[in-house]
Amino acid sequence: MADLSVELASLALRNPILSASGTFGHGLEMEHFSPPHTMGGLVSKTVTLRPRPGNTAPRIHETEAGFLNSIGLENRGIGAYLRDVLPRVADADTRIFTNIGGEEAGEFAELASMLDERDEVDALEVNLSCPNVGGGRLPFSTDPALAERVMRGVREATDKPVFAKLSPNVTRIGEIARGAEAGGADGVTAVNTLLGMAVDWRHRKPRIASVQAGYSGTGIKPVALRCAWECARAVDVPVIGCGGVGSAEDVLEFVVAGCSAVQVGTAAFSDPALPGTLAEHLDDLLEAEGVASVRELVGSLDREGRAPA
Amino acid sequence: MPAPPPDARSFTATVSAVVACGTDGVLLSVRPPQPLPPLRAARFFMLRREDGASPAIPRPFSLYRQADDELVFLVKVTGRGTRALAACEAGSKLRVIGPLGNGWPDLDGDGGPWVMLAGGIGSAPFFMAIEQALSGLGAAPALAAENLCLLYGASTAGFLYDLERFEELGVRVLVATDDGSRGFRGNVCELLEREWEAGGLPRDVRLLACGPDPMLHAVERLARARELSCWLSLEELMGCGVGICNGCPVPTRPEGPLGAWPNAKCCVEGPVFSTEEISL
Ligand SMILES: Cc1cc2nc3c(=O)[nH]c(=O)nc-3n(C[C@H](O)[C@H](O)[C@H](O)COP(=O)(O)OP(=O)(O)OC[C@H]3O[C@@H](n4cnc5c(N)ncnc54)[C@H](O)[C@@H]3O)c2cc1C
Ligand SMILES: Cc1cc2nc3c(=O)[nH]c(=O)nc-3n(C[C@H](O)[C@H](O)[C@H](O)COP(=O)(O)O)c2cc1C
Ligand code: FES
Repeated sequence: MADLSVELASLALRNPILSASGTFGHGLEMEHFSPPHTMGGLVSKTVTLRPRPGNTAPRIHETEAGFLNSIGLENRGIGAYLRDVLPRVADADTRIFTNIGGEEAGEFAELASMLDERDEVDALEVNLSCPNVGGGRLPFSTDPALAERVMRGVREATDKPVFAKLSPNVTRIGEIARGAEAGGADGVTAVNTLLGMAVDWRHRKPRIASVQAGYSGTGIKPVALRCAWECARAVDVPVIGCGGVGSAEDVLEFVVAGCSAVQVGTAAFSDPALPGTLAEHLDDLLEAEGVASVRELVGSLDREGRAPA
Repeated sequence: MPAPPPDARSFTATVSAVVACGTDGVLLSVRPPQPLPPLRAARFFMLRREDGASPAIPRPFSLYRQADDELVFLVKVTGRGTRALAACEAGSKLRVIGPLGNGWPDLDGDGGPWVMLAGGIGSAPFFMAIEQALSGLGAAPALAAENLCLLYGASTAGFLYDLERFEELGVRVLVATDDGSRGFRGNVCELLEREWEAGGLPRDVRLLACGPDPMLHAVERLARARELSCWLSLEELMGCGVGICNGCPVPTRPEGPLGAWPNAKCCVEGPVFSTEEISL
């Protein structure tokens, strides 16, 4: 048995596998497919201050190598989350991350202070980067100063570990990561979806009602890996990799590039039992490679010379 | 937060037979590693091939029949996913997620007869519904055959999948095609109107419908105009099928039994909804 445990700031995880926000429910909905004890942690769908009914259908479309979505953060708001969801995760045998979203900096802080009192929540992930609200303008994840401001507000509102979730839709993601770190983030998640689009040319229609959508899945892995690597070089806090992860091999690619943990999103739609199998596969890979602990591999990318053929 | 049904699992199953059906369909028989108990008609499964020939996201299919420990699906080829499934051979491995969804309500004998409106491949969830009604399921005792009628419509005869087998079930089956290549010329709503006028069916029928969107809209309008109880099995576009992607919203009725939230999730709150609950 290899040691799979990792640390994200002050938070100890049994393994580096987390669910990605918006792809695994709010709480324990997937427990029969991927039991909580097989996961390092579960990240909720983004919770906002007020209920959001979400965008018009069609909201999803599978492309050649990935998945487009424009859900528009459909959720019943923080009130319903505190009342209906959190009590059910109280005894969950895994870490619970609540992902929060807002349209103004103050909303993030308000959400953080409401969650601060709740013992069920182990950490917050701050969604600075949803492409499906506000017309894809992504204000908080394209300007380092704004990212810093939001994270500072959140930092002051809670003692729980806070992670900033960043967008790949920027030229230099490392600068945004640095802004988030300066604001007090205990780590960054890289990345949310890329802005994308698909067209049904015969009917002259967009495939997604809102036209623009978030692109995820296998096809974005190289982009996500590069973003995570740039973040890991830019900041001292841990980086959580996310984008196109579908196997234990993928997990280790992100780990070697500098990530302390990894999130699995779209791959859960191919098989909701897959996230729960990754830790075991990871163990097999590390055993076979003679690596005692996954932590040894974090950021171990060696740029000298070439890999043997 | 609606969760998938507690009996739903993700497993690998083996294709045992693929038989052509109608112009563009196949009957796909699948053997799960362990037999499943009898499942309510109109529940569904997500399917994809495990050899990489399918798209990454599985596709939803109603359970057509359950026989000899096998699950049988009726698949119409419309795109990449269905083409890959239709090209399976005996021995192909499938990723199967299910059983999912709620299924039809109990078909009880406490009201007017049940009329099933099927449009093309929308007949899939009705085969077992008829079998189960005739033998009794859940709290519902067996129903006499005269309390059931299937109105099976399609644009043309080649899309009346497995019609002979439906006709052998022992309930009244009336057929309609848009081009008149088989049975009544017209659609199933027009056929129902004709039956009412001819006295072939009483006015107080209860409706179950599955088919293409325009048909379901027409059935909903008809049910509201005549104040009939009506259930629709929706074939919304799906991503995950298990309630986690929010990709399958269905508009709820503001004063309806599903509560004030404007969307229901087709996959975990449906795919069968009553017209009290939703409005297309
Ligand atoms: C609960 C449920 C039960 C179903 N049962 C059956 C069944 O028993 N047998 C069967 O053959 N099919 C059934 N379907 C429909 C089936 O899932 C779709 O035909 C299939 O997903 C198409 O996949 P594809 O990759 O072949 O086509 P794609 O390449 O994904 O799409 C081809 C074309 O069909 C359209 N399309 C895709 N999915 C749907 C849909 N669900 N409704 C309307 N248009 C769509 C696309 O927009 C596109 O224009 C069911 C759907 C649901 C939700
Ligand atoms: C259907 C869907 C819904 C999503 N909803 C959210 C969300 O509410 N909040 C968020 O931070 N990210 C959301 N994401 C982004 C994912 O968490 C993840 O960052 C992205 O999909 C890339 O990872 P993947 O390729 O493994 O899916 C969503 C993604 C998908 C596909
Ligand atoms: S298909 Fe994903 S929530 Fe219904």
